[in-house]
Amino acid sequence: MDHALLTAYARRFGIFIAFLVLCMAASLWNDNFFSEGNLINVLRQSSINGILAIGMTFVILTKGIDLSVGSLVALAGVVSASFATISTQMMITDVFGLNIGAGPHWVGFALGLGLLAGLLAGAINGVLVAYFSVPAFVVTLGMLSAARGATQVFTDGMPVPALSPEYRWIGTGELFGLPSPVIILAAVFLVGWVALTRTRYGRYVYAVGGNEKSAKTSGINTRGIILSVYIISGVLAALGGMLLAARTGSALVQAGQAYELDAIAAVVIGGTSLAGGVGTLFGTLVGALIIGVVNNILQLEGVQAYYQLIIKGGIIVFAVLLDPSRRQGG
Amino acid sequence: MKSLITSVSLAAMMAVGSGTAALAQDDPIRIGAALYGLRAEFMQLWAAGAESHPAVQDGTVELTIFDGNYDALVQQNQFETMITEGYDAIIFVPIDVEAGATAVQMAYDAGIPVIGSNTRINTDYVPQVVEEGMYQYVGSNDVLAGRMEAEAVMADFCEAGGRVVIIEGPIGQSAQIDRRAGNEQALAECPNVELLEMQTANWSRAEALTLMENWLTSYQGDIDGVIGQNDEMALGAIEAITQAGLDVGDYSIAGIDGITDALVAVQDGTMVSILQDANAQAQGAVDLALRHVLGEGYEPMSPIWQEGDAWYNYGDEMPWNGGTDAEYNVPWTPVTQDIVGELLDARQ
Repeated sequence: MDHALLTAYARRFGIFIAFLVLCMAASLWNDNFFSEGNLINVLRQSSINGILAIGMTFVILTKGIDLSVGSLVALAGVVSASFATISTQMMITDVFGLNIGAGPHWVGFALGLGLLAGLLAGAINGVLVAYFSVPAFVVTLGMLSAARGATQVFTDGMPVPALSPEYRWIGTGELFGLPSPVIILAAVFLVGWVALTRTRYGRYVYAVGGNEKSAKTSGINTRGIILSVYIISGVLAALGGMLLAARTGSALVQAGQAYELDAIAAVVIGGTSLAGGVGTLFGTLVGALIIGVVNNILQLEGVQAYYQLIIKGGIIVFAVLLDPSRRQGG
Repeated sequence: MKSLITSVSLAAMMAVGSGTAALAQDDPIRIGAALYGLRAEFMQLWAAGAESHPAVQDGTVELTIFDGNYDALVQQNQFETMITEGYDAIIFVPIDVEAGATAVQMAYDAGIPVIGSNTRINTDYVPQVVEEGMYQYVGSNDVLAGRMEAEAVMADFCEAGGRVVIIEGPIGQSAQIDRRAGNEQALAECPNVELLEMQTANWSRAEALTLMENWLTSYQGDIDGVIGQNDEMALGAIEAITQAGLDVGDYSIAGIDGITDALVAVQDGTMVSILQDANAQAQGAVDLALRHVLGEGYEPMSPIWQEGDAWYNYGDEMPWNGGTDAEYNVPWTPVTQDIVGELLDARQ
């Protein structure tokens, strides 16, 4: 096998092989690791970060960054959850003179509003980056702060408690023997993977990140593409936020803090280049699972949480250091 | 502006008329409350408690609340603002014990009294301020709370033995250090109880949920009790147990603070919570600040100082003593079925 081919394989499967090695090491360390219950735990615990990281991959592929996802998790969580409470439903019913009452039939509406909040915030990010040429780092840093503030204003800083069982199903339910967050992650991954690898839209995303100028010259609506990836990221952050609220039973103002860092870490570990144009959703998914496995095995072994942070930091840097594509002068 | 001043002084005169205290002032008394952050329910309850103090309600006091955004430096800057603006007194809830001494010294140099609430400062750095009564503290003893919750968890198996886990706050924060000390005191009295794990979840429900899921894998069926150093984390553990398809009734679980979700869980019988009375910590601090401004004869206005049958009448356990004690300890109240309904109503 010649060197170029080897490099191509390493790029494609290296991260997956590293993941398998990690899992084997974990199972040697702790007998419970490979139990069915624990593997489901790892999947469930990785699902929210995985969903955020998929959105982040779209953004980073266009050479952008989205620092606002952690704050959007909280914002979408409280917006959505507050419409899932009886009191808000009664209020809306009264104000608009509707004859529908309060109850579980509101869940779809509540979820839709949460996604809408993420979509709007993502659109604001995208418009500022694509049409006003403000650096993505600055725009989304601003949104990180603004969305957290908006969350606080929206709730007066109080949690939105006691979500209904119907709402909570998206975070705690089961389908085909798997937890619902895992199913949702799988669905998001599948749709994202098809969009990126099997459609013209996907090729445009790579093209914009690879070389924006030549993409523009060849007739691609680069601004539209850039706007779209921030919307995707915002919507997926909202989805993650609602899953988190559903899983913990309350939407909390302080939810999701620093989640953007774990999402970026998963993308980077997964081999996506921060310089744009290079990377796969599969890598991101494996990256999220690596973070999940590391947290899981260290907690199973009772290692103090702060060591986990050090180890996670080390893995992020090493993943990029060992990435073969980096050596080709890229 | 003029009409505002008029209406405020009118309110102050009405307060005198109703015989609450000798508060005839032309300008309202300005008290600033520097809180470490407003992102969690407890500090929101604290702020609501301060704002519902009788003297704030009747306009005698103009209360300004500062959000410290979980940053010691932000809090210090807010102190500078309050000193420049000439506030009459400052109420201070620092982000950490070790983080507030400089700010208190600055206020002292400017002649402004500081009332600590909820979280104390390390007074070793400012002995003179304390000696002259320019720093007083009203809060609750976290060691005691840690002890009470651990005792509640182990009540049924202290003698017979059992296995417990502790979910801690951020390591090194004063509340974590003190609550752990209390947890350990209680554990020492139950030598048959084994401590399986003790890990931090940083006060976070989501982190505690993950931690407990993993512990349930490690110790399938072996865990009898969960000691959460706050309610959020105890609730996270409950979620992990429920979502693993296990029966919460098989576990003895406790938390501290009495946040709304925990009150609901107490009502359902799934956990024990030890109420930290944010309202009393806030209103007590306002009364101590007013004593500084209005002088010795001031009689505290908050109902917390009264002796009475209501659970929040702490007069017996926390006497006013002229308002000159260096430290006031607001008692912890175990949330029982008797008071949980009343507490929940008050949160609406």
